[in-house]
Amino acid sequence: MRRGSILTLIAIGIVAGGIATAVAVLLPWLPEPASREAGRIHFVIWFVIVICIVIFAVVAAAIIYAVTHFRAAPDDLSDGPPIHGNTKLEIAWTLIPTVLVTAIAIVSAIVLSRNDAQGKDVLHVNVTAQQFAWSFSYPDAGGASSPILRLPKDRSVLLTLHAKDVIHSFWVPEFSQKEDTVPGLTTTLHITPDRLGTYAVICTELCGLGHALMRTTAVVMTPADFDKWLKSQKQASTTKG
Amino acid sequence: MTAITHDEAFGHDEHEHHGPPAAHYSSRISPGVLGMFLFIASEIMLFGSFFTAYFFVRVVNGTPWPTPPYHIPVQVATVNTFILMTSSATIHWATTAIKKGNTWGLRAGLLLTFLMGLSFLITQIFEYLRAGFNTSDGAFPTIFFCLTGLHGCHVFVGLSILLFMTIRAFRGHFSAEHHHGVEIGGIYWHFVDVMWIIVYMTVYIL
Amino acid sequence: MTAATVEETHHVHATAGGGSPWRMLTRGGWIRAAWMTCLFGALGFGIVVLARWGGGWHPILATDPIVLVSLLVAAPLGFLAGLGAFDYWTYYALGGATRPEDHSGHGARSWKDYFRVNTDHKVIGMQYLVTTIFFFLIGGMLALLVRAELAKPGMQYFDNQTFNGLFSVHASLMIFLFIIPAFAGLANFVVPLMLGAPDMAFPRLNALSFWLLPIAGIMMVASFVVPGGAFACGWTGYVPLCSTHQPLGAVFFNQAVQWAGASSIMTALNFLVTIITMRAPGMTFWRMPLLVWANFTTSLLVVIATPFIAGSQFFSMFDHVMHTAFFDPAKGGYPLGYQHIFWFYSHPAVYIMMLPGFGIMSEVISVFSRKPVFGYRLMALSLMAIVVLGFSVWAHHMFVSGMASWLRVPMMITTLLIAVPTGIKIFSWLATMWEGKLHFNTPMLFALGFLSMFVIGGLSGVMLGAVPIDIHVSDTYFIVAHIHYVLFGGSVFTIFAGIYYWFPKMTGRMYDEKLGKLHFWLTFVGFNLTFFPMHIIGTQGMPRRVSDYAPKFADVNMFISIASFGLGASVLVFLYNMITSWRDGELAGSNPWRGMTLEWLVTSPPPVFNFDEIPQVVGSPYEYGVPGAQHAVLVPSKATEMEEVPV
Ligand code: HEM
Ligand SMILES: [Cu+2]
Ligand SMILES: [Cu+2]
Repeated sequence: MRRGSILTLIAIGIVAGGIATAVAVLLPWLPEPASREAGRIHFVIWFVIVICIVIFAVVAAAIIYAVTHFRAAPDDLSDGPPIHGNTKLEIAWTLIPTVLVTAIAIVSAIVLSRNDAQGKDVLHVNVTAQQFAWSFSYPDAGGASSPILRLPKDRSVLLTLHAKDVIHSFWVPEFSQKEDTVPGLTTTLHITPDRLGTYAVICTELCGLGHALMRTTAVVMTPADFDKWLKSQKQASTTKG
Repeated sequence: MTAITHDEAFGHDEHEHHGPPAAHYSSRISPGVLGMFLFIASEIMLFGSFFTAYFFVRVVNGTPWPTPPYHIPVQVATVNTFILMTSSATIHWATTAIKKGNTWGLRAGLLLTFLMGLSFLITQIFEYLRAGFNTSDGAFPTIFFCLTGLHGCHVFVGLSILLFMTIRAFRGHFSAEHHHGVEIGGIYWHFVDVMWIIVYMTVYIL
Repeated sequence: MTAATVEETHHVHATAGGGSPWRMLTRGGWIRAAWMTCLFGALGFGIVVLARWGGGWHPILATDPIVLVSLLVAAPLGFLAGLGAFDYWTYYALGGATRPEDHSGHGARSWKDYFRVNTDHKVIGMQYLVTTIFFFLIGGMLALLVRAELAKPGMQYFDNQTFNGLFSVHASLMIFLFIIPAFAGLANFVVPLMLGAPDMAFPRLNALSFWLLPIAGIMMVASFVVPGGAFACGWTGYVPLCSTHQPLGAVFFNQAVQWAGASSIMTALNFLVTIITMRAPGMTFWRMPLLVWANFTTSLLVVIATPFIAGSQFFSMFDHVMHTAFFDPAKGGYPLGYQHIFWFYSHPAVYIMMLPGFGIMSEVISVFSRKPVFGYRLMALSLMAIVVLGFSVWAHHMFVSGMASWLRVPMMITTLLIAVPTGIKIFSWLATMWEGKLHFNTPMLFALGFLSMFVIGGLSGVMLGAVPIDIHVSDTYFIVAHIHYVLFGGSVFTIFAGIYYWFPKMTGRMYDEKLGKLHFWLTFVGFNLTFFPMHIIGTQGMPRRVSDYAPKFADVNMFISIASFGLGASVLVFLYNMITSWRDGELAGSNPWRGMTLEWLVTSPPPVFNFDEIPQVVGSPYEYGVPGAQHAVLVPSKATEMEEVPV
């Protein structure tokens, strides 16, 4: 290949990569994270997106270059050069992707294990899903229960998930963590909220007619507010019981 | 690669032929036998999915086996196992007989195999009727009925094949040169027998 | 034998039999099918009632088992028997003398021959294609109804049961009645030709496999009119929702999947035997066109994996109808078991839906670039690698399912590794185009569309393979975007490419190139406008399979819905082009694309028995640019001379 065509190829690649980067950066892809896990997951997403953009740019450049430079006139009945392969190239495009996906796997595995590692003083919350409602109870507060998930900021929370009828799935987009609730099984999910606010809890597993509306809210409070709320709940449940 | 004609390769016995030029034959294995092996591969996977269900119920969920108060009629099944294993021998006998051109050996072998298969199936039906539990009685009965039932269906299909082979044998359609049907049916029957041993071991013995 | 005598013998067979009313009723065909369907349905009804009466189960007239046995099992069998799919086997089983193949059911001389049990692989291929495109249209219309409902938040036109039914039937039709069988149809037409074989190894089995499909399709569509509504648990049919919380329609889904699955297993078995035993002289495995390789590997996947979805649907259906306890935790069942069994099929199934397309791409790109396929052997080997790896990744669909968490990292590694052979294929196609002489006919446009779209789908697949990312986006619109980029931008584009590419061979006529290009551009643009934004609303937080959504997604959804109607309209161009060109397109000649593989050596459409003499394969299938190179030659061979004698 001539120098000129390599330069054209690179230029197309840069443009394609630039457009992809613009799409990735300028469009509002991800909700602003509200948990430490979400922060790490977003890191993985961006890490993989960078790799994807590079690969996309390479492929796009090759396609665009080929389409623009190797177009034959309709009456051109000649054939291209009979190139059957190139062992070095083939090894390269086997090895480089292998290295890239290995890197992705390693980063993912690290993030996964850090996201599952619980901090000190874990808050336990039982989550019960049924068609088509959520309920949350706090074993540390005498089993006080609430239709809204209230969590303290910066404390490790372990959700223990149950389902009464069919499979549901617990997701708060801002927390990024998600796990199915399965009848007959106990599943868990670990979250460390780190931003005050009110977020939507969404069921993401098709669970029947009311699936689309199976929502509630999650409120991240300051630890002091949370303790106050928990205490009031505890009192309410003891006076009731 | 030899050029065998379409007829030989595909087990057509007579030699009157019009239509396509003989297909070229690019493998030593006959299409019928290969097809049967692939079909059996598929069948093994079907059993595999049932055994996977068995695994989830028995190993993952730890369901007691058998779940009290139910019992598994092991003795009957053991007798049945012997019947089926013997029938594997008789079908083998039938195929070797016809390869030597012994048509009466073939007929006797097929008939014996058929009768043994039939007694297996009838025994199994009685076993079901006396089991004392039903499909809706929990995970153990579910798996018990479905694994043995799946196998029972295969015995039924095998028996149908045997029946057809027997009819054809008595009509004199098989000879030392043309016994494709018996061979392929025989492979299937062996498969049914081997599968039973696995079902027997996992459901009744372990 | 000459072509003329073939025609003659045909004529005799076809008109033999006369038309006495009794013959009309008992001859295999639609009339017999009509009464046998009813008869078998009644028999099925009787068997259930008798068994329930004998067993003392009450109520005796239980709807679920009766509908299942009578309508969904017995009646279709009666239909097949009536149509004549089992005629020869019945005759054989009852001890009739072995008949040499009389070819009376082979080939088509009028359009009526497409509506009977026909053993000609070319006719069957067309039957497949027309049927699958029919279901593609129905599935597409259902999708447009889904998009209409989703144009605005809140409920517009449907109740929830209907809405859930719409997307469930849409996906099931597209997967089980369009993509998988459309590939089977293309391969049916092309593979025996490419191998230099007169037909498939088991023509009657081939005919039967086809006729199972309409049964499956009608069953899925019919579930809309069942009391309680269509099955509404998604094409994945997760339990216990699908097994114990659904109306009767769920059983229609379970059973339709069985018919479609049986069809694809039988076809795959047929392909494997054909490819192994019926290659033309000189056609070694390393000289087979990549399309044949692709169907070989796909068939391996089908034969091994499909029984697992059969199992999963049996279990789900038994839980529904017989109240067994496979997946009912209250009785000791294990709900996650369904997902493991289902995905052990359905992950390989995504490659069942992709590998044949890869094969089509290799043919099209090489022919329209006028260059040999780059790295032919590695291309074939990467197909095998995908088959092997494909069985070890199923749990990547279950990263958030609550399965054992230690399974996640190993499954992530295998999943990411599968991107490597996939990447090899993409890079090799690019290298095939490199320095070639590119002709942008419609098949090539679709091939290029496929390349660019599939790269995006593959990259989003890599993202999904990374567990932390999947945890965030699983079961959101991001998944919807991913599957459409791989299945629509991937598989459907390759199907279109294949249809345009072999259209001249199938019909003998050229399609309209201008309309073809228009179809491509409308599809390409409509597709991206419809599906790309779904990535974004997915990551932002819109779950999939919902009839209603948060107001903040309203604008994007409106945009998607409008674009989807444009995409739907593009199909009309395709249909118009196909129908008019089939009727009165320009005559194509035997080799309009100057291809080298064997199907281009015979006339368009090919003779009834494909080759009047057996071709001799002398070289690799893609020797474009090699002076004087040939893939195969047609010489009257010894075998044909032998045939001349006995007739
Ligand atoms: C680079 C290769 C690919 C990788 C790494 C990959 C990975 C994944 C993963 C991890 C999921 C699960 C997402 C979730 O449900 O949370 C998924 C879903 C899916 N993929 Fe792929 N994929 C690839 C290519 C393909 C291809 C080629 C097809 C089909 C032609 C395909 C079809 C699908 C479908 C249909 C689903 C959704 C299943 C459902 O309904 O839940 N993928 N993919
Ligand atoms: Cu839900
Ligand atoms: Cu998958």
